[in-house]
Amino acid sequence: MQKNALHILLADDDEDDRLFFKDAFEEVKVQTKVEFVFDGLQLMEHLMNPDTKLPDILFLDLNMPKKTGKECLIEIKKTEHLKNLIIAIYSTSSSDEDIEDTFIEGANIYIKKPSDFNALKKIINEVITLNWHYHTSGLNRDNFLLSLK
Amino acid sequence: MKWIPKFNSSNYLRVIFIIAIFILLFLSSIAYKHNRDLNESSKLLMHTYEINIELERLISAIKDAETGQRGYMITRNHRFLTPYLFSRDKVNTSFIALKKLTADNPEQKKNLEKIYKLIIQRYISFENCLKYSAPETYDKRKLDNHMFGGRILMENIRFKVDEMNDIEKTFLNKSLKKYDQEISLGPILSISLFLVALIFIFLAYRKISRDLERLKIYNKKLLISSGLMAESEAIGKFSTWQWDLDTDKIDYSDNQFRLLGFLPNSFVPNKDSFINFVHPEDKDIIAASIEGIINNKELPFTYYKIILPNNEIRHFKSTGKLLVDQNGSNILLGINFDITDEHLLNIKLQERNNELEKSNKELASFNHVASHDLQEPLRKIQTFISRISEADKAVLSDSAKEYIIKVETSAKRMRVLIDDLLLFSRTNTTKKEFVKSNLNELLENAKSELAVIIDEKKGNLKVTAKLPKLEVIPYQIEQLFINLIGNSLKYSKPQTAPQITINCEEVLSNEYPEIMEQPFKKFYKITFTDNGMGFDPQFKDNIFVLFQRLHSKTDYPGTGIGLAICKKIVENHKGHIIADSEPGKGSVFTVFLPE
Repeated sequence: MQKNALHILLADDDEDDRLFFKDAFEEVKVQTKVEFVFDGLQLMEHLMNPDTKLPDILFLDLNMPKKTGKECLIEIKKTEHLKNLIIAIYSTSSSDEDIEDTFIEGANIYIKKPSDFNALKKIINEVITLNWHYHTSGLNRDNFLLSLK
Repeated sequence: MKWIPKFNSSNYLRVIFIIAIFILLFLSSIAYKHNRDLNESSKLLMHTYEINIELERLISAIKDAETGQRGYMITRNHRFLTPYLFSRDKVNTSFIALKKLTADNPEQKKNLEKIYKLIIQRYISFENCLKYSAPETYDKRKLDNHMFGGRILMENIRFKVDEMNDIEKTFLNKSLKKYDQEISLGPILSISLFLVALIFIFLAYRKISRDLERLKIYNKKLLISSGLMAESEAIGKFSTWQWDLDTDKIDYSDNQFRLLGFLPNSFVPNKDSFINFVHPEDKDIIAASIEGIINNKELPFTYYKIILPNNEIRHFKSTGKLLVDQNGSNILLGINFDITDEHLLNIKLQERNNELEKSNKELASFNHVASHDLQEPLRKIQTFISRISEADKAVLSDSAKEYIIKVETSAKRMRVLIDDLLLFSRTNTTKKEFVKSNLNELLENAKSELAVIIDEKKGNLKVTAKLPKLEVIPYQIEQLFINLIGNSLKYSKPQTAPQITINCEEVLSNEYPEIMEQPFKKFYKITFTDNGMGFDPQFKDNIFVLFQRLHSKTDYPGTGIGLAICKKIVENHKGHIIADSEPGKGSVFTVFLPE
């Protein structure tokens, strides 16, 4: 069972957000394995470690100490064995600048952290069931920001 | 250089003088010739007259001899013989004179020789008459013969003399006629030529006096304008200088001395005197620019500092030009401006600008704080509340449940406030890209954005005139329409379906005092008229102020930011927004947008 579980990695320095994230995944019906890193430096160390099994989806917070999410994104996209990693930006900010920048740097989707737990569950459901191949090939500025119907 | 009058009279005068001189020279040469001819003719006349006299003398000497002889022959008194004896000498003297007089005329010479021969014969006949009248040798027949022969000889002499006189007379007449022909200039022509010369000289005189008159006028004008120049230099804090490169002579205007801290003309400027005033930091710039002006014939504006004798530092701006004047001398013309006041003002402005930039940056970072850091705890409050399940709520007391609901409401309100504030500050700070847009389309967008509320309230929107196409920031104008229509929907009268009329017309700025001072002439006046509850007109200015609310938030939830955003947007477009209302009847919002 564990073998087929979806491997999720969240990089977020906020303890509460990690808690919400973990709880939401536990309530999601799909088999998942969720791991956490606490800042950008730790994330990059983790990803660069040859023993690490790369996650299926990386949820990346932007506002992190030591190394910001944007810096991590740029580094990942520059690294040969990481550049195809699916990256979901997961941030409080909804500023046009942040959305535009991460789109240009090659993130796959932009998720604004919701202020409702049920909404968070819905988003996670949406993201893990997304056909990434289909989504990525048709990615544009309009569908980059995830919006729930 | 149009104002410099043309004094080309020197050429004009030269021509006039040359003509006059030629006429006078011509006249004097004619007069000279005339004079000479007159002289010649009088000499000629004299010559003829002398010959005439001498010939008469000759005749009279012979006649004297004849008379004397006759007296002697009658009286036999020797006294009567004296004239006869003297007559030979007289005849000889006359002959010598005549020979001289006729030396240049071969014809007369020949005649004279003939006369000479006749006279000799006459004297021979005298001798014979004396001989045959003497008592000792008296012979009446011979005497008669000789007497008669003498008579014929005498007539021949007279005839020849007359002939000679005639020749002289003809010659004289001929010469005189020739002279008369030669001096063909009559006195009338001479006088008229003289008059022409006089007229030319008069014209020249008139031209000179006119030029003098004009010169006087221009001198006066020049005096006035140089006075004005000096005055304006003093007021405008600028000065001029001229540098004649050929003579190396430099002239400063009075104000140049003053700007350098001296009294006018208190020193004689030379090549180095100006550079001595220049601040040591800028000496190189000035030296280079003087080189540049000589090479390039023009000096672009140069900025530098100078030090006055009292050690005050002034800021100067200079420009110059190389001119070549009519005489081909190179003259550098320059203007110096004392821009110290401007410079100080600029520094102040720069400081203000820096402050503004700083506060803008602070605003931007506040923006970031508001968008991120403030929202994060709020989001968590909301998420945590959402995690309290119904099961959890069941075990809570009623008041606790109430409190949780209140926390939820407050958090929601906080979110709306933050979102509106962000929208307001973005209206200010984001890039302002003006695009030619059809305002009708933007209005349609706004309508569809508000479709749910319009439906809910059964509102009716009526557009009575088409909106124009304008250079605007599209999303802001759309926001403006959303806010204004949203406002009308929100403050509609209970139990009455909201009716909003949108009208548009073109107006001139001078008809409306609110927009009179704008630099645009034509405006579009777009009005939003509703049948809502309206407001007290005394608040018509206040409603556009940030956070100003006319109603309690329990009756009408709102942040007091919406209309402030409207005002900001209209100001971004150099327009104007006003509101008016009659409580209970409705309000009118008027937006003026420049064409």
